[in-house]
Amino acid sequence: MTELQRQLCSRRQALGSIGAGFGALAMSDLLRTADSSLVGARTHFPQRAKHVIFLFMSGGPSHLDLLDPKPLIKQYAGQRPGEVQLRTERKTGGLLPSPFRFAARGESGIEVSELLPHLAGCADDLCVLRSVVGGNPNHAPAANWLFSGRIDQIHPSLGAWTSYGLGSENQNLPGFVSLKKGSTASRYVRSGYLPGRHQGTPIDVGHDSPEKMIAHLRNESLSTEVQQKQVDFIQQLNRRYQQNAGGDAALEARIEAMETAFRMQFTAGEACDLNRESKTIRESYGEGWFANGCLLARRLVERGVRYIHLEHSRWDHHEHISREIPKMAAEIDQPIAALLRDLKQRGLLEETLVVWGGEFGRTPVSENGDGRDHNHYGFSMWLAGGGIRGGTTYGKTDDFGFKAVEDRVSVHDLHATILHQLGLDHERLTYRYSGRDFRLTDLYGDVIGDILA
Amino acid sequence: MCLRHCLTTLSLVFLVTSRLDSPATAADADIDGIEFFEKRIRPVLVQHCFECHATKPKKSKGGLRLDSKRAALAGGDSGPVIMPGKPDESLLIDAVAYGGEFVDMPPSGKLPDRVIADFRTWIALGAPMPDDKTSDGTQPASSPAPQKTVDIEAGRSFWSFQPVSQQPLPNVSNADWPQQRLDWFVLAKLDEQQLEPNPPADRRTLLRRLDLDLTGLPPTPDDVDAFVSDASPDAIERVVDRLLCSPHYGERWGRHWLDVARYAEDNPTGESTCQPPPFPWPYRDWVIRTHNDDLPYDEFVRRQLAADLMDLPPEEIAATGFLGLSPVYHKEPKLSGEVIRVIVADEWDERLDTISRGFLGLTVACARCHDHKFDPITTRDYYALAGVMASTQLVEWPLVNASLADAEALTKTREAIVDYNLRVSYAKAMQTAAEIEKQPTEPFEKLAKEYQKTLDDWKSRKLFDGPIANVVRDAGVWVDDHDPDWTNMVYRAGEPRNLPVFVRGNPNNPGDTVPRRFLEVLSDSPARPFKHGSGRLELADAIVTDAAPLAARVIVNRVWGWHFGQPLVRTPGNFGALGERPSHPELLDDLAARFIASGWSLKWLHREIVLSTTWQQSSRIRDGRPTEVDPDNRLLWRMNRRRLEAEVWRDAVLATIGQLDGHMFGKSDSIDDEKNHRRTIYGTITRQNPADVLRLFDFPDAKRHSDQRTLTTSPLQQLYLLNGPFLQQAADHVVNGPLPGSTDDSDARSDSVQQLFRTILLREPTTDELDASLRLIGDESTQQGWQILAHSLLATNEFLYSD
Repeated sequence: MTELQRQLCSRRQALGSIGAGFGALAMSDLLRTADSSLVGARTHFPQRAKHVIFLFMSGGPSHLDLLDPKPLIKQYAGQRPGEVQLRTERKTGGLLPSPFRFAARGESGIEVSELLPHLAGCADDLCVLRSVVGGNPNHAPAANWLFSGRIDQIHPSLGAWTSYGLGSENQNLPGFVSLKKGSTASRYVRSGYLPGRHQGTPIDVGHDSPEKMIAHLRNESLSTEVQQKQVDFIQQLNRRYQQNAGGDAALEARIEAMETAFRMQFTAGEACDLNRESKTIRESYGEGWFANGCLLARRLVERGVRYIHLEHSRWDHHEHISREIPKMAAEIDQPIAALLRDLKQRGLLEETLVVWGGEFGRTPVSENGDGRDHNHYGFSMWLAGGGIRGGTTYGKTDDFGFKAVEDRVSVHDLHATILHQLGLDHERLTYRYSGRDFRLTDLYGDVIGDILA
Repeated sequence: MCLRHCLTTLSLVFLVTSRLDSPATAADADIDGIEFFEKRIRPVLVQHCFECHATKPKKSKGGLRLDSKRAALAGGDSGPVIMPGKPDESLLIDAVAYGGEFVDMPPSGKLPDRVIADFRTWIALGAPMPDDKTSDGTQPASSPAPQKTVDIEAGRSFWSFQPVSQQPLPNVSNADWPQQRLDWFVLAKLDEQQLEPNPPADRRTLLRRLDLDLTGLPPTPDDVDAFVSDASPDAIERVVDRLLCSPHYGERWGRHWLDVARYAEDNPTGESTCQPPPFPWPYRDWVIRTHNDDLPYDEFVRRQLAADLMDLPPEEIAATGFLGLSPVYHKEPKLSGEVIRVIVADEWDERLDTISRGFLGLTVACARCHDHKFDPITTRDYYALAGVMASTQLVEWPLVNASLADAEALTKTREAIVDYNLRVSYAKAMQTAAEIEKQPTEPFEKLAKEYQKTLDDWKSRKLFDGPIANVVRDAGVWVDDHDPDWTNMVYRAGEPRNLPVFVRGNPNNPGDTVPRRFLEVLSDSPARPFKHGSGRLELADAIVTDAAPLAARVIVNRVWGWHFGQPLVRTPGNFGALGERPSHPELLDDLAARFIASGWSLKWLHREIVLSTTWQQSSRIRDGRPTEVDPDNRLLWRMNRRRLEAEVWRDAVLATIGQLDGHMFGKSDSIDDEKNHRRTIYGTITRQNPADVLRLFDFPDAKRHSDQRTLTTSPLQQLYLLNGPFLQQAADHVVNGPLPGSTDDSDARSDSVQQLFRTILLREPTTDELDASLRLIGDESTQQGWQILAHSLLATNEFLYSD
């Protein structure tokens, strides 16, 4: 190891152990100049995006019914031509045509399904990747693959790497936030071996009061005034303790974290309070928890949160897909379109990379007669904003949409591209663990140069 | 798993810097070129080209073979495809670049641009490849990479593999300072830097430190008073002896070990084939008991790996929960054998990693795909040990004498029920599909009924219902995929198996078979193949005999780290080339040698450490030279201040408020359950949804072996302290007890404040603190005021840290 590497390592370890909360940055400190301001952090590359909103459609949405029209399926309906003999998780039947119509949208003429009428209106902002290749045909490993580049549950997620690389722009809010309905945390926002503060902070968007959205955010029995007195008292003891200890940096960090915690009760509460939005805005997003999640994502971006994971589920249509998928599409369509328009109108879309996709797509062949099985051989995702060229499609699947055949995009390529837009070099963003340096993209990944604006 | 791809950024850095540093001679350049080929080109050839362009296929397509140097340079039906030094004239480049003038290869899709660039670079370098070994040029490049890097003999000279021996005591500036042998080594190092050690900690601090360190619980105020006023010379020693004899010692130190063993009571995911093991806690209880009994560490290691193969009472088999509770991943029977084999190989890898890093501080898992880049560990070493894992089955087993049939029925029945449940639901799904597709449904209906009948039959069997534990036994493990629709695991008792080397870590690409044996570098050369069953007992014996010096160094270093908050080698799971060197090598050797001589007694080791002047120093940070010369306190000029681990903090709160439920052992209870007041070690440890307090306060992820805990500081921790129910309830309890209550008498109020400080912080308040406390309570002296005060004291850093 060179001396420089050794220094970086020990510096990194030190930061890992004494960081001062959300505002304390690890890698970002190494990248930044002596200037302690959070703006203008020095990155590996010029930064095209400052924020990421990842709209995760858990279960595996069907690209064939949403974004990747394959008219030839109709011609071979019920049959299994040679190209479709790929092995998937379950037993499949013949080719199943999509009952939904596709039409060219916007000036770019990207074909989008009738299931997404609102999103179709934003076609010129989208870059649809039609040749994404996943790593595994089962849900949990495939989703791990999508977020950490490996199928196991150990490696840090994309959001944690982002927070590790860039920190938060807001001292009073976490750098990585996870929005989901329900009290169980998402399994794909972990920090793995990165320091724990880079883990996605869970917000339960199934509720609409901030107190219920963030655990322990408010004290139910004390008024703010009384709690302020309490915190002052605790801090008085903490400062005396720290002085006696001889100025321990870890103790200083805890004192700062207590201040931040106290303030966060109001900043996070304010950020999560959707009632502060105008009626027009709220109506534009529509109703339901997912609409609230999209609106909250925008509010968090405005407040400097780096990475927002918003998880929607129930896309696992092994049966009755033509009946079920319209319900899911209807839940997400208007909110996502409103989010894109709202970001754009506020000038935030340029600096915010929005990513949409599931852990895999679905098979063109049927399962249970009217369902589709998992398909990680080729499926669609889309990107918008953040320096990505809108109004484009990239890559192709075969004639039936089973396998990516042209300009294949691996998950590692996607990660390399997202980090690139954030100004981070996926080969240089590393963390030492278990005797070696690890990175998000393992040994792989190429930035998809063709889709950059 | 992750370690399959050990080609580190760092190793690339090495490669590049070595080029820059030395003027490249032709020979050097060629070595680098071959290295480039091995790293960047060969893997691509293996993955994308050999299917058609290697020796094995009946006919190499286009007559081209790329698996030997001679054949590759000779070219194929279209003539030479590689023109060394001239990428632009090489047909190979046109093919992989889909250049259009020749064929487009590989047909499955264009390779990434970077890989194509690598091919260009490689050809520009002159297309270096290792020479063919045999006369006909068929030394296939598809076999494992030539063993050119690992020199076992030279590897034996590495520091951590050397024998340990007691070291001569160095000269020190002040011979009165040392109380234990280790103090001499510490002081000598400080002398070198002309640093003064700190004075001893005060008695209150020292007692709290001793109690928290050895039992994980704080002393009572009375204990403090007694200790402060005990002037006898052996006062400290008596306390240490008392604490080491306390049953709470095993709860504290057993928990340290459970980090290493990545103990948990469920699996990373919860699908049907990886449901939580039903009987995890006997292993946890075994760890606590053997710590309390001071079972010699070498025996502690042997039993965890192989108690079932030793002549021991039946309950001792619980020790093998170390392997029996390994994380297990879902093996969907509808997936192909290829996919399942990878999952199974990942599981073996995790176990091997836990054993090798846990007991030996070696990252053997780095040698899964290629020989270890930095340590003398070969791929053959890896598969020799992986074979032991492939001969070991995770089972439920009775902890009392029972018939073999009864014992075997436990695991067999559970697995059959899982399997037939899956088969029934699968048959029913097929039936529904047939209905919709208007195909005949009877075959599936019939099948579903048959499976249901078998399932009911399995469910009706009466099973052994005495004490059971999740452990291991000897049985060969295979993936059975002869039924293309249903991939199953097969276990054969008494049939241990050797594994082939998985070429590039791919279990679907087997190479030569390797006999099960211990690591070459730690054995007499050549290593003897294991002869008995899986070889687990021989492996365990080898760890504590052949590798005793390393094993002793590793555990002594861990124990040191748990006492001091920082080990001597700061990479406790990596004593290899990329690990750190010890800060005090002679000290580590002296302690390790005497640890072995003491009969591997951990309690002996604790006494050596906590009775040292070094450990008993004050933790106060002195400005000036010490901080400038040694800010990380590597030289130990002071004791490290340590934050209490999540479980110690929770236990300390419960003990302080008099609510700790001392009930030991048995089934775990949820830590999030507000009524659960047992010690945290008896709380449910999950790999899926860790309890709030554990997750927030850096409890390790139990999916893998944990070297040491990383401490993070976040506002979410503070929100938990301020607003979470745990401390609020604890504070309620304090003030509901015999303590203050409401009173108008200001003297009585001051007394009550003092009493609260004594109870929680084990000290008197300062005048300022007393005033501030009285202000916080307010003139009305309400119940809430007292509650807030108690809550505040419990939420201070002073309570959270051990000085």
